[in-house]
Amino acid sequence: MSRGGRHVYAALSVLAAGALVLTGCSKGGSDASDNNKQDKENAARQQKSIKFGDAADSTGPAPAVPGAKSGGSIEVLQRDSYAHLDPAQIYVSDEGSLATLLHRGLTGYKTTTADGKGHEVVGDLATDSGTTTDGGKTWKYTLKDGIKFADGTPITSADFRQTFERLFASYINQGPTYIQQWLADTAGADYRKLLPDGPYKGKHLPSTVLETPDAKTVIFHFKTAHADLPYALAMAGYAVVSAKGDTQVKYDKNPVTSGPYKIQSFKSGKSMVLVKNTNWDPKTDPIRHQYVDQFNFTFNQQFETSTKALLADSGADQTGISFNNQVDAGNLSSVLKDPKMKSRTVSGYQPYVGQMNINNSHPAMKDKLVREAIAYALPITPFLRAFGGTDAMEVAGGTISPTVSGYNAAFDPFGKKKNPAGDPVKAKALLKKAGKLNMKLTFGYTNTPEGQQYSTAMAAGLKKAGFNVQRQEIPAETYYDQVSKLDNNYDIFHTAWGADWPSASTVVPPLYDGRVIADGAQNYSQVNDPKVNADIDAANKITDPVKAAAAWEKIDEYLVKDLVSFVPTAYYKQTQIAGSKVGGLVYDDVLGGVDPRRLFVK
Amino acid sequence: MLRFLVRRFLGAIVILFLLSIVTFLLFFGMPRDPGLLMCGKTCNPTSLANIHHVLGLDKPITTQYWIFLKNLVMGSNGFAQGPCPAPCFGYSYHTNDQVWATLIDRLPTTISLTLGGAFFFLLIGLGTGLLAAWKRGTLIDKTATAGAMVLSSMQIYFLGPLALALLVYQTHLFDKPAYNNFTANPVSWFSGLIIPWVVLSTIFAAQYTRMARSAMIEQLQEEHVRTAKAKGMSRRYVFFRYAWRGSLIPIVTIFGIDLGALLGGAIITEYTFSLPGLGNLAVQAVFFSDLPLLLGVMIFSATMILLFNIIVDACYAFIDPRVRLA
Repeated sequence: MSRGGRHVYAALSVLAAGALVLTGCSKGGSDASDNNKQDKENAARQQKSIKFGDAADSTGPAPAVPGAKSGGSIEVLQRDSYAHLDPAQIYVSDEGSLATLLHRGLTGYKTTTADGKGHEVVGDLATDSGTTTDGGKTWKYTLKDGIKFADGTPITSADFRQTFERLFASYINQGPTYIQQWLADTAGADYRKLLPDGPYKGKHLPSTVLETPDAKTVIFHFKTAHADLPYALAMAGYAVVSAKGDTQVKYDKNPVTSGPYKIQSFKSGKSMVLVKNTNWDPKTDPIRHQYVDQFNFTFNQQFETSTKALLADSGADQTGISFNNQVDAGNLSSVLKDPKMKSRTVSGYQPYVGQMNINNSHPAMKDKLVREAIAYALPITPFLRAFGGTDAMEVAGGTISPTVSGYNAAFDPFGKKKNPAGDPVKAKALLKKAGKLNMKLTFGYTNTPEGQQYSTAMAAGLKKAGFNVQRQEIPAETYYDQVSKLDNNYDIFHTAWGADWPSASTVVPPLYDGRVIADGAQNYSQVNDPKVNADIDAANKITDPVKAAAAWEKIDEYLVKDLVSFVPTAYYKQTQIAGSKVGGLVYDDVLGGVDPRRLFVK
Repeated sequence: MLRFLVRRFLGAIVILFLLSIVTFLLFFGMPRDPGLLMCGKTCNPTSLANIHHVLGLDKPITTQYWIFLKNLVMGSNGFAQGPCPAPCFGYSYHTNDQVWATLIDRLPTTISLTLGGAFFFLLIGLGTGLLAAWKRGTLIDKTATAGAMVLSSMQIYFLGPLALALLVYQTHLFDKPAYNNFTANPVSWFSGLIIPWVVLSTIFAAQYTRMARSAMIEQLQEEHVRTAKAKGMSRRYVFFRYAWRGSLIPIVTIFGIDLGALLGGAIITEYTFSLPGLGNLAVQAVFFSDLPLLLGVMIFSATMILLFNIIVDACYAFIDPRVRLA
């Protein structure tokens, strides 16, 4: 989901790993065919069902959750404290889940089925998901009546002007940058030049870029079409900020919320309490509910700790849940095998897709036969096993996740789904044909317990195919810093990436556009192919979501099958658990976790 | 005594100063850029340069260090997050919280864990050690010695999860470990910390048992103790009046060091029991390359260790009249 989050993810994986070490837990696969089937069905339904809703779809209140009742408190056990509460600084999935209770934007994802699995993009604070008359260059939004911040101030277009203008200020550096770049019609960080000080020194975005003709209308003007705007506006990073209450940097600690809850107290690293926002009107909100009186958060709860506490299901933990902690790998198999425990779990795909990057800048890797040999030889089984088996991972064919439009389940050019152990014989033949038998292959791996485990077995598989594999350990906390350096000496290394919304437009360009290759950037494999670059430009111009999805999938297949620039490894999955008195438990594929908006106390 | 204290405090300040330099240099020696952690998904050199500028990381290291020292002593109004009164360690890169306020906020957890744990491990450790010395050569002595040997080889990351599984999650005999404010609810405070105290004391007590036993046995061999016995004093009187006092010096030394280290942050214990103390904060500072927080935790922890070393040295004079500090 987020680049920043990915760094944090890498760093914190050490903490998670520590928890695993404590119990010495790790396991192979388990009989999870039922779960897998259900996850796939949910994902397929979700990616097919996403549409841009009209005014009727955008009208509140949200359909009642079956069996829901109001009242009570829910205990939320979280591993990581929230570093940011200012919507503009929110990107990572943990804060994204929290933001569903606190912040509202122009658009949002509404669940369309009783089990909370189907979605559509609807108007949240706006009356619909947006209207465009010129194929996506101009988008108009009209604000609903009766929308207010938690302090009682009505939300107007002035607040949205403030929301978007402050994104250009230098202190906002953690959130998404899509809309800023689209407004400035530029790439990278050059968008800041459009309004270097944000709205704080009297300057504003011109009406040719952002128009707010009256208190209820917000119009975006782009120089090029951006059909994905309704998706982008649904990100927490573009939720509304109060113009009156904008305290700039300090807003990150005490934001004026617009969602059904407000922050009663927040002790960073320790605890947080959310209480009902009495100025939130359910009639204006087609997405959220306000069943629970209070959410009490406790931080520093490792995966193993939260799992054991919720499994024990005693005292306050009966109404306990974690928005982001997973069932830890050590307990996952036993939890899913016990029907009683399983009834308290939800599972689904995370946005992340793993890939073994092949460093295309290295001369030895420029030979396609060598890259193909790596692709055929690489065993995926050790990767799955290291992270908890098929309950936690699924073999990937391409880099477009099952939750993203355009996903092709049949795409598997190297037969990994049928034979995840790899094909060393075919790989050896290819390597021999290239005249590179026993060639040196430097494999950079993260020094987490999982990294140690899968890299050893993967190296063994590659050795069988005739590679002279040299494993090089990289500290987990600096892993992404090291592999994102252009001048690194790793021939292959593993990374993971997640879509920001269910379109591959947030996957393919950042990962494979040769024009964005730079130190610290995300084209880890350093792919720079003229056809890919041209196809990315063409796909970005397609305004029909269905046609765009097909175009992105075609590029992905070309990258994997024809260029063999990298080897997809796995789609990340997760299982979460709650106490027995928590109702409304559903897994949201867009959030990549449990949906906090539907929860209630039984 | 005063001269001794002044000399030790001045020495401590020099050590803290050197420590801050070493931490600063080590931080910049790490193959890691804290700016990258904050750079968002579409990180690029311009964004990174902007973050470096906002964090002040684009200044020379010497300038950054000078600013750090100046802010520490004089405070600063130059932070976008708000004023930072002395002692100002700045604001966390990761959370934007004022570091000093964060340290103070986490301190009660660590103090509660340390003092409660210390009470238990001293009580159990010294009690068992003295009993073993008193009953030297008996089954009690052998059991205590063997038990101490076994327990001293245990680690918190083994005993902690075991205690949680058995005493909390399976049998529900104790509350789940948590820190609750003592003044708000003393009962919750006690019940939330009892398991960490027990685990901490189990491991530390073993060390004190062995030390108390050997120090006591050694003292019982001393000439002045044997003289006292020869003069007809009772065994109990000799044991507690002469031998016990003499055996305290090594125990106080180790206790002072342990207490200082624990107050600086019991990293594994706090991590195992999910307690939001200074130890957990140290982990967070390292993982997020959070220099202000890292410096704050390091200096705070070092201050605790140095302070308790000075207190221990001062205590020698009271315990053993032969020691003259000045």
